[in-house]
Amino acid sequence: MTSLLTHSNPISYFPNSSPTLSKSPFFTHTKTLKPFKHKSLTVNSILQYNRKPELAGDTPRVVVITSGKGGVGKTTTTANIGLSLARLGFSVVAIDADVGLRNLDLLLGLESRVNYTVVEVLNGDCRLDQALVRDKRFSNFELLCISKPRSKLPIGFGGKALVWLVDALKDREEGCPDFILIDCPAGIDAGFITAITPANEAVLVTTPDITALRDADRVIGLLECDGIRDIKMMVNRVRTDMIKGEDMMSVLDVQEMLGLALLGVIPEDSEVIRSTNRGFPLVLNKPPTLAGLAFEQAAWRLVEQDSMKAVMVEEEPKKRGFFSFFGG
Amino acid sequence: MASILTLRLCPSTSYPRLISPNVIQLRRAELGFDWCQLNCTSENRRAKKFVICALSEGDSDNHDKVLKSVKDKVFVNTRNAVVKFQESVSSVPHIFVTKRISTSYIAVGICIATMFLVIVMRVFTARNSRPSRPGSVADLVRRGQLRSDRRGISSTLKYEDPFNNPMVKISKTNSTVEMCGKVYRLAPVTLTREQQNVHIKRRSRAYQWKRPTIFLKEGDAVPPDVDPDTIRWIPANHPFATTVSDIDEDLAQTNVYQKHGVPFRIKAEHEALQRKLETLQNDQKFSKLTIDPGTARNFERPFKTQLKLDDQVEEKLSNGPSRHTQSDHTRNSLGSNTNTEDIQHT
Repeated sequence: MTSLLTHSNPISYFPNSSPTLSKSPFFTHTKTLKPFKHKSLTVNSILQYNRKPELAGDTPRVVVITSGKGGVGKTTTTANIGLSLARLGFSVVAIDADVGLRNLDLLLGLESRVNYTVVEVLNGDCRLDQALVRDKRFSNFELLCISKPRSKLPIGFGGKALVWLVDALKDREEGCPDFILIDCPAGIDAGFITAITPANEAVLVTTPDITALRDADRVIGLLECDGIRDIKMMVNRVRTDMIKGEDMMSVLDVQEMLGLALLGVIPEDSEVIRSTNRGFPLVLNKPPTLAGLAFEQAAWRLVEQDSMKAVMVEEEPKKRGFFSFFGG
Repeated sequence: MASILTLRLCPSTSYPRLISPNVIQLRRAELGFDWCQLNCTSENRRAKKFVICALSEGDSDNHDKVLKSVKDKVFVNTRNAVVKFQESVSSVPHIFVTKRISTSYIAVGICIATMFLVIVMRVFTARNSRPSRPGSVADLVRRGQLRSDRRGISSTLKYEDPFNNPMVKISKTNSTVEMCGKVYRLAPVTLTREQQNVHIKRRSRAYQWKRPTIFLKEGDAVPPDVDPDTIRWIPANHPFATTVSDIDEDLAQTNVYQKHGVPFRIKAEHEALQRKLETLQNDQKFSKLTIDPGTARNFERPFKTQLKLDDQVEEKLSNGPSRHTQSDHTRNSLGSNTNTEDIQHT
């Protein structure tokens, strides 16, 4: 139940009031397909990529990944989107703003390398560059934890500390990062307020159940009150079989309830748990998994400030050819 | 006669479960005597042999009598065994069982052989397709000896487009998509900009919120010119947040912006330690001026002259106590001399 693309004009989300499939083919991305003719991208292709999404918006793009309800997959989304972006060649700094219950380092397999956090930076125990943990798999991906599990964050400065961090990251010698992803804690407590302060866009992660949707609606309301207008939604842990049996809300139902543009739809996948246990994000799996592909597609859309134009609603029996009996 | 029959029937008795009652009846008709007696010839023969052996040493008169009685006993015993055998034979359903079992044996044999072949093939293919041969660069990466992103000779990372790769295929009519081998039906997203605006308006009415800009501990006084809605009250026992900070805001900001050099606190601690050391050294100088020469003597290193002096002292002590005071005096004077030397050096 993963997402599909997309529209030709990323600025106007809905060029037609009733977008039709014929008018917006799913895998034709005019913005990204155009540069195929250019020589520069041909060189890029030889170097590393077949093609690369075009970065929209000003850098650094500070994106907060939030949900309201806990356990819906914020940290998993941050890890997978972050590494997908890094894999696409963008420089990414992921900030684990979950003060009391940080887990992003575990998902990325970097837990043994976190020596300093933002608390130490604020106190002057280390510099910011010492607190940033560079991933060995993709050197353009860095992790910054806000505090150690047992320490208390002095939030007397409010969200200013994160604003300073973003400013400091902008002025780095290595250059300004393309993306700063902030993994927001659950709830709407002090941690949430701190996490959303520097953000100028948000990704709301939710699951298709009413408890998560109620919290999500509240959080969207708070984000909008705070002035964050660019909010997109990721529906996680979707099961097409349950949707078919009408035991689960469909993605379109969720969208109707929240009224947000869709960044991605992630199917329920046992590989998610496996990758979490391994500290090896799903998007790096070879061969790619269904959820991993969905995360990669979502990252692609995030880069281009794009949204989904069609969703996969149910599984159909695969049509088999004449020689399928013989393995064809 | 009995021995011949025994010889004939022995092969058949070796497969008692495979013989049907029909066959037994047939045999009985053919041979024209009681099957039960003949069937147990082996036991009879054994009994006979035993009796013959037992009587070979005894009288010949008694031989016939004893033989007769033994025969009777053996007959009774064998009769029970025969009944049991007949029961077991009659429990077997049909003669074609033999054929069935033989075919199943063949099938099992074929299965085992195929399984063995499959295992061999799999092992062979796995051995051939194994990417990292022992000692290769891939093997080094796998063992953690080499970092994968620094491998110069590895193939470059070629990114696969998530919307167009072998795992994602779209149908020509754009109505279905195949992902990871599963085909899904597609439905268009119907949310419009107008609908989105309606939701935004609804939420703006439902949730009135101002982001807190000031965090205060419960019990603190509200500062003047501050909107009470923007205050977040943090309980004293909050699990991870505290309003207490030992550094002021400007200093924290400078710490975050610091790019080079020693971090503030490390530097401050270093300077504080250095100052402490200096003051300690100054204190030592001062105290050493007034140090008691007697206590200072304890810290002296023993050297040859002093050892000699000690020997002299011991000798003098053995001679008499009158000279003791003199030696003490010399030692004290020496001690005081060394002390003054130390102070000069410092």
